[in-house]
Amino acid sequence: MADKFDVIVIGAGPGGYVAAIRAAQLGLKTACVEKWIGKEGKVVFGGTCLNVGCIPSKALLEASHKFVEAKHDFSDMGIEAGDVSMDVKKMMARKDKIVSNLTGGIAGLFKANGVTGIEGTGKVVGAKQVEVTDKDGKATTYEADNIVIAAGSVPVEIPPTPLTEGLIVDSTGALEFQDVPKRLGVIGAGVIGLELGSVWSRLGSEVTVLEAMDSFLPMVDSAIAKETQKLLKKQGLDIKLGARVTGSEVKGKEVVVKYSDAEGEQEMTFDKLIVCVGRRPYTKGVVADGVGVGLDERGFIHVDDQCRTSVPGVYAIGDCVRGQMLAHKASEEGIMVADIIAGHKAEMNYDAIPCVIYTFPEVAWVGMTEQDAKAKGIEVKTGSFPFAASGRAMANNATEGQAKIIADAETDRILGMHIVGQHAGEMIAQGVIALEFGSSAEDLALTCYAHPTMSEAVHEAALAVEGHAIHMANRKKRK
Amino acid sequence: YGRIPASPAVRRLLREHDLALEAVPGSGKEGRVLKEDVLRHLEQGGEST
Repeated sequence: MADKFDVIVIGAGPGGYVAAIRAAQLGLKTACVEKWIGKEGKVVFGGTCLNVGCIPSKALLEASHKFVEAKHDFSDMGIEAGDVSMDVKKMMARKDKIVSNLTGGIAGLFKANGVTGIEGTGKVVGAKQVEVTDKDGKATTYEADNIVIAAGSVPVEIPPTPLTEGLIVDSTGALEFQDVPKRLGVIGAGVIGLELGSVWSRLGSEVTVLEAMDSFLPMVDSAIAKETQKLLKKQGLDIKLGARVTGSEVKGKEVVVKYSDAEGEQEMTFDKLIVCVGRRPYTKGVVADGVGVGLDERGFIHVDDQCRTSVPGVYAIGDCVRGQMLAHKASEEGIMVADIIAGHKAEMNYDAIPCVIYTFPEVAWVGMTEQDAKAKGIEVKTGSFPFAASGRAMANNATEGQAKIIADAETDRILGMHIVGQHAGEMIAQGVIALEFGSSAEDLALTCYAHPTMSEAVHEAALAVEGHAIHMANRKKRK
Repeated sequence: YGRIPASPAVRRLLREHDLALEAVPGSGKEGRVLKEDVLRHLEQGGEST
């Protein structure tokens, strides 16, 4: 008879491992099941984010950005670095080392908190039963008073471009190229496509991004999206909007992609093609038929605001449920669920989840966009400040972008913050805190910001909401 | 720290109207008083203390 647990978590990604650690901290006897086999042939914790997502992509973005700076920006600063070159294999090895450090770190945290790691594929077979099948096919059934499903997501595949080893790849494959493709095609101008396209473009690929939608980053505030599109185009990303991929043909070591746009049928030849049109919940086979956990039509596990499924005691969090597919969203849901299981009245604020795109410059936002507010019929005031007017940005050689604040015209409550610029992902935390505290724009305007810092652009944007920015001429505010 | 959490804008509004923070009902997190609460309080002829 296998052990009985207070909580069994299925999946050790950002949702699952955080839920497990939190539950253990709250005194619950907790196990976490994971099947992911790492490069060394052993089960690794960390899920998509640590193994093939957030962390490795950031490692490559950072390395490729430094390379570009050395190649193009250093001489203006007086640094003569000579002919700078990139050893792609070494860059990849560094990324792999970071990944293995972090996944090992989670194993260490499990140990420190008394979480039992179980290796194998977990399946909910009853309201209080999880069956785990190990790599040898041996199944063990564990009893648990509570079950947390954190099974995550996988890349969406599309019929016109079936994955072909080393040629047509998904985001995972795009993090593994051992040399720079001369001509790189990217399908999908979303967050993942722009980040991966950036990495290889910086290292010398001619990158074409094919996006079926007519609008660029529709979830981003349109002023910010417009500026971002310009900046990425200037960097050499050829982003084609309204381009629907209809087919592909592998010819030797090349792939010919057919797509249709406003001008009709088009064709392009690439050395590598990355398919990143989106991700879908990984829920197939995670719950046995008859348990009663409901899925929606897109395969997401159906949950309420507290991540409860239709079966009492069974919860689901992260990418396999509704909401934004973001690591920090999954982790916060994990904490909420662990707290609920431990008897607390926990809830989560879904209105203050930040989003970041780690291009250069970074794009980050939280809360409503101006178009969101308009659609809701809310009258807003906005304030923007360009980094071109920031002393720190000039010193940093990073004068692209702007910070923008959207406030309710009546109450002055901040509804959204949107930044494109160096370190936008770090700066957006201010917007998150502002939303959490119910801050008005004036609150930020009255706050003392260190000088010279990039964050001063947020301060100035808050001042600009009332037409009181100091370091730029203010637009006339309508009274 | 001994201060009821309130934002700089709220404190300023209170100062300008000689209001005590305690006199204003709060609608924010854990009853925190927001700028809009003070504005509403003033609109409804809130008592100065």
